[in-house]
Amino acid sequence: MIPALAPRRYGPVNWIGLWTLYRKEVRRFLAVGTQTVLAPMVTTLLFLAVFVLALGHSVELVGGVPYMEFLAPGLIMMAMTQNAFANASSSLMIAKIQGNIVDLLMPPLSALEITLGLAFGGLTRGIVVGVATAAGIWIFVPLHAAHPGALVFYGVMASLMLAQLGVIAGIYADKFDHMAAVTNFIITPLAFLSGTFYSTERLPEFGRLLAHLNPFFYMIDGFRFGMIGHADGSLLLGALALIGVNAALLIANYLSFQRGSRLKA
Amino acid sequence: MTVDAPTDIGRQRRFGAVNWLGLFTLGRREASRGLKDYHYQIFGPVISSLLYLAVFHLAIRTTTSGGSNAELLNFIAPGLIIFVACEKAFENVCFSFIFDKHERIISDLLMAPLTALERIGGYLAGACLSGLVIGLAVALVSLLFADLSLAQPLALIFFALMGTVMHGLIGILVGIWAEKWDSYAAVHTFLLLPLSFLSGLFYRVDHLPALAQDLVRLNPVFYVIDGFRFGMTGEASANPWIGGAVLLAVNALLFALAYTWFRRGYRLKP
Repeated sequence: MIPALAPRRYGPVNWIGLWTLYRKEVRRFLAVGTQTVLAPMVTTLLFLAVFVLALGHSVELVGGVPYMEFLAPGLIMMAMTQNAFANASSSLMIAKIQGNIVDLLMPPLSALEITLGLAFGGLTRGIVVGVATAAGIWIFVPLHAAHPGALVFYGVMASLMLAQLGVIAGIYADKFDHMAAVTNFIITPLAFLSGTFYSTERLPEFGRLLAHLNPFFYMIDGFRFGMIGHADGSLLLGALALIGVNAALLIANYLSFQRGSRLKA
Repeated sequence: MTVDAPTDIGRQRRFGAVNWLGLFTLGRREASRGLKDYHYQIFGPVISSLLYLAVFHLAIRTTTSGGSNAELLNFIAPGLIIFVACEKAFENVCFSFIFDKHERIISDLLMAPLTALERIGGYLAGACLSGLVIGLAVALVSLLFADLSLAQPLALIFFALMGTVMHGLIGILVGIWAEKWDSYAAVHTFLLLPLSFLSGLFYRVDHLPALAQDLVRLNPVFYVIDGFRFGMTGEASANPWIGGAVLLAVNALLFALAYTWFRRGYRLKP
């Protein structure tokens, strides 16, 4: 017997829709895994090689460990955050350019469900890239997990934050040039100057103050604490900042999709 | 009242052995493509090179207590300048090809009365020009961090040209062969970036183990960076004459391949 045609019923959350959007976001990057997972892994290993060859001959300890072990968590975190950002932003950007953004706006997904679907997609890419990069680095550098809880917390919160920033960038950018500008002039400088490659403890007073105003510093510092057990800054402050920023971004993205700014006519 | 009809309608433009106008037009289009959005196309590479220098500057402070890091920065800056110039030369040509293929305007190039040699010349002129402009911009801002000198101006110009021409030719080959942006990204990430990063761009190859030193000497990009640095600082890890010879040979080979592909219309004409 053929069931009568009727709208699908669901409770307050459209779980199937959310899951489908999330799955689409993940499949989108896995389909081009060479570009989205292998490429960042190779680039990160190149950075590792270059810094170790240029500076690794020093016998001084940084944060209580050899420079290589200090550098590794920073590089992993940098790869994770850049890719979390790239996933969400490029997904929206390409959908806008190709016009299939309607496929995202038409289905019965609430603003919150869209935000979460995109953000979790970016988060997943960040985690996958992080694990792949860590595996690659592990061949050359011994990695530790001094505080696994902190490691997971900072890894997830940082990827989520960048994925949400990617959603904002994807909503606002109209051209690939805009996206390249945001990546080149905002994301990369913040990531590079955040203590990935150096210890902020060795900076002059003013430089340290500036570094501690950079949200990326707390992500990398906390993640590094999870690995080597040493932090330059305050962990509590970092955790609170990440939770606060993520909550603020979630609200901002929710409101954006609710109003449909720059997406709906 | 009669309107004077232009008298040259239907008449073929005549030119000698070389279509200078066509060559110049192609070169100008290529260079302007690479430089017209200067706020992205020039400032982008400039900012990332500054970041590299800043990060190394700070990382050296982290790994050594006190002491000067001027030496290492003076070493890195020439490498970065030529790296950025070469990367731009490759990107300029490669982007141009893939873009034209996607937009189906590659026929404008194939229809024009240009010989294979003129096409290569036009693309290379654009690639070298935009690469060198960006290299110059990076050189100017790296003066903030490093002392740049001009020990051997002729060597500097020679290796800058050899490097950008080599990357421009690779850009032509990849551009002809590639159909998707993915191919461009793959060549960039998996071939050119490793060749550049592992070629003594950021560290002295003299400090490497013997086997690695031998391997580095098989990498043509090493000679570009080493030779260019010789032009600036007067110090080289390899004999610049050998480097120059290797680069001439590599460029001749790439040129011959590009010429054959254009002549045959490989992957461009049906």
